[in-house]
Amino acid sequence: MKTETPVIEIQSLVRRYGKHDAVDGLSLNVGAGKCYGFFGRNGAGKTTTIKCLLNLLRPDSGNVRVFGLDPRKDEVAIKSRLAYVPDMVAFYPWMSVRETLEYLASFRRNWNEDIEKDLLNRFQLDATKKTSSLSKGQRTQLALIGAICPEPELLVLDEPTSGLDPIVRREFIETVIGAYQSGDPSRRTVFVSTHLISEFEGLIDEFTIIEQGRELLTMGADNARDRFKKIRARLPQESKVTLAGALSVKRNGRELEILANGNSEQLLAELKSHLPEELKVEALSLEEIFVASGILKKANA
Amino acid sequence: MIFQIDFKSGTPVYLQLVEQIRHAAASGGLRTGEPLPSIRPLAEELRVNRNTIAKAYAELESQGVIETVPGKGCFLKAVGSPLTKSARNDLLVQEIDRAVVAAHHLQISDAELLALVQKRLNVFERKNNVAND
Repeated sequence: MKTETPVIEIQSLVRRYGKHDAVDGLSLNVGAGKCYGFFGRNGAGKTTTIKCLLNLLRPDSGNVRVFGLDPRKDEVAIKSRLAYVPDMVAFYPWMSVRETLEYLASFRRNWNEDIEKDLLNRFQLDATKKTSSLSKGQRTQLALIGAICPEPELLVLDEPTSGLDPIVRREFIETVIGAYQSGDPSRRTVFVSTHLISEFEGLIDEFTIIEQGRELLTMGADNARDRFKKIRARLPQESKVTLAGALSVKRNGRELEILANGNSEQLLAELKSHLPEELKVEALSLEEIFVASGILKKANA
Repeated sequence: MIFQIDFKSGTPVYLQLVEQIRHAAASGGLRTGEPLPSIRPLAEELRVNRNTIAKAYAELESQGVIETVPGKGCFLKAVGSPLTKSARNDLLVQEIDRAVVAAHHLQISDAELLALVQKRLNVFERKNNVAND
């Protein structure tokens, strides 16, 4: 069976800023049809990576391929098949919503007017309003319309919902699921870099956590939720416990809170030998996994 | 149908949907010939990847619980399951194994587990009788 070309392929990407390695050997693959999360602390190298995908920055070393093409050589071919929504969207302030959409559409071979009508209605955007008079949320909605109407094969989102109120954020995600994820699934891939991991939790198939320019963890979402567990136990006495291999242990007298990475069975066995009064196991949400990965890093250091 | 997705349960989301639909089918919450929610609105409502919903529906279809009518949607299949008895038993054994493991984790004895099973059977039967009245 022929393996499909990954939509995004990054191999040992290095990009420096002066003496500082913004991206220091990052590798990841995004398969067609996936919703891929890209998480990391501020300054970890997320935006630099995305800029390399869009040929806004050139790699110092390593390879970047989008749709199997090199952004340096085939920039237009790549950009005609993707759409990008950054955190700070900008339009010509004197243009109206209608004029902006016509302007954006003029660059695109394909523009779905039914989706445009549907989304303008859904967001209740006044097409005659000047973009300078739109709120941040409305500008993001306009950017999203501009990104979805050309029906691109790849949607690159960089902190798209930062600074937006919870209602607008939810609508954003519903719109990505609803209006964007129509049509052939193999031609609808999402690459989203965000801090608001809990909101995108349901959407994410696979993710990479980047830390100081390198990948810290790459995993499927279901797999991650299966591996990372939080165990809460209350022991009858303040017994001594080893809990070797636990990701972290928080202790308060008889109560323990333990984070496990794949070895929850062993830890549970040890806890049970102490005849706990209470024993609960919970998976971690992706956001909690992100926070826990900070501990992972210290452990691997 | 109202779905509850718990990202902290450790169970993949699509499996949670499969279980909830099967539960609804078994308890009368969803009746034969009743349509399941369409994939797109359900994905939007739960804020979950469409592929996840599609995966759940595909799984239910392969289990013979639902059927897709092209152009109309997915419907609950009549209770006369096309699955052979042994196939159905195999599916049930998977569920039973899960309960056995859970009981082990929670340090619940075999006798207690069996007593609980009987209790739940009684509750289920009562609920079904009420639903059918």
